[in-house]
Amino acid sequence: MAITGASRGLGRALALALAREGASLALCARGEADLEAAADAARRYGGTVVALSADVGSPPDIERFAATALAQLGRVDVLINNASDLGPTPLPFLSDAPSEGLQRVLDVNVIGAFRMTQALIGGMLMRGSGLVLNITSDAAVEGYPGWGLYGASKAALEALTRSWNAELEGSGVRLIAIDPGDMNTAMHRAADPEADPASLRNPDDVAAAMVELLVGGFSGAGRVGVSL
Amino acid sequence: MITSLPAELRAPMPAELRGLPRDGARLCVVDRAQRRITHTHVSDIGRHLRRGDLLVVNSSRTIPAALNGERAGGSRVQVRPWVRRPSSWDVIAVSPLPPHAPVPLHEGEVLHFPGGFVARVAHRRDDLPSLWRLERVSGDGFASLLSSGEPIRYSYASAGVSIEHLQTVFADHPGSAETPSAGRHLTWQLLLGLRHRGIDVVDIVLHTGLSSTQDDDIDATHPLVEEWFSIPASAVRRINAAQRVVAVGTSVVRALETAVDATTGRVSACEGWTSLRIGRTTALRACHGLFSGLHEANGSHLDVVGAFLDRPLLEAAYAECLTRRYLWHEFGDAMLVT
Repeated sequence: MAITGASRGLGRALALALAREGASLALCARGEADLEAAADAARRYGGTVVALSADVGSPPDIERFAATALAQLGRVDVLINNASDLGPTPLPFLSDAPSEGLQRVLDVNVIGAFRMTQALIGGMLMRGSGLVLNITSDAAVEGYPGWGLYGASKAALEALTRSWNAELEGSGVRLIAIDPGDMNTAMHRAADPEADPASLRNPDDVAAAMVELLVGGFSGAGRVGVSL
Repeated sequence: MITSLPAELRAPMPAELRGLPRDGARLCVVDRAQRRITHTHVSDIGRHLRRGDLLVVNSSRTIPAALNGERAGGSRVQVRPWVRRPSSWDVIAVSPLPPHAPVPLHEGEVLHFPGGFVARVAHRRDDLPSLWRLERVSGDGFASLLSSGEPIRYSYASAGVSIEHLQTVFADHPGSAETPSAGRHLTWQLLLGLRHRGIDVVDIVLHTGLSSTQDDDIDATHPLVEEWFSIPASAVRRINAAQRVVAVGTSVVRALETAVDATTGRVSACEGWTSLRIGRTTALRACHGLFSGLHEANGSHLDVVGAFLDRPLLEAAYAECLTRRYLWHEFGDAMLVT
């Protein structure tokens, strides 16, 4: 399995929860120190964990990560596109936001996830089995002040997920946009520093629930939420 | 045979960067039984295949296989591994600058590469002196290639073609120095449609070496070096059950004809190195058809096509492609032999 943005938050929690289930993992993130710490924690469960510092917004980094993951794991059957860029913080109104911020958010959250999926889905299609999980947000479907750049990128990611699924019907490969809800993570603190942590989900709980869904084989496709 | 190809018929970039769909290249179809040559597009390949046919593709992924390193005196040299074994590589050594002329190394000298890979030059290869044997001293050469290598590009190819555009849509096993380019034409839209009609696709792996030593005189002798391949058991079942096996690319022919039993005609699951040379006198046992690009006269790729087509039909097909201004090389047009 390959997980992007695996050094912190939900990505790290997913890496640990999947390592506990015995999954072989390839992890990437930009921050090398945090990534190595997450990989070391995952390795304590005894499985193979490949960690590579990479920016999903960079095409050469995507090729390097995909090739390393494929070479070291032999195959990738599950890809979790979790790496996301929130854009400028504090979250600006759209009327005030720099367009460069939207460009970066789209480069990572949409084009990066698209490229990573293209790099890894070919083997899944050849084998006739595989799963791509795209982490999304309710900002993709609701309008919240300040969340416009991020929400636009997640709406685009969900649109890619829908069409890609329609194209691959019957192939054995599915894409799912999964909304983990508001979690107590560094990203959420950056977006909404005033939020009461007690009102937010623990990413470990969300990761555990997602692993339950994965183990159960995810009956559906399209957009799903996570019930705790 | 075509001895000098007009420069404008060397495709500088793939179809999708020339304003066409990825599977929009032209396709010359040669029906051996009917001795008939027709012309269509890759996206229409299904009209020339039938239920029970099996496309066998090479799912090797292209790696950035040109790696610049530093010599003892501080000068730079580019190595291109042709054969990669765990602790030694056989490489050509060239100038880092175009046109990448060969550079002689010294036995015993130590080369330092980005990412901490260090190798010692052992000796030239006896059978092909253009190749130098590098022995690993420390570090991970494969990781250095992935992080610091550049894709190998030949002079006719546009510099704007990134490694993303070199990959086939099923590239899944990193290791080829040059793109297994026949498969580049195929799209999942096309392949899923073929599967739906009972024309299956299955993959094997052959990590390609180089097609040029960067020395024209040596290249003219068609040097052929061993390549690593793997044919998994899951593929073998379908290959042996297929009515017709259509190899996508000359690399697939090399792998399957290595793995076939000459008596029974059945392919076995296996992996390892193949030094098989296929030419016009080779009796093909595993492959019934070939989907391939268009190749120049001075190469081993065309020899493989010659194993499928007798000389008059091969020359007639290539002459038609030339008259119709087909594009040659890895980003060009294609030919299907059935």
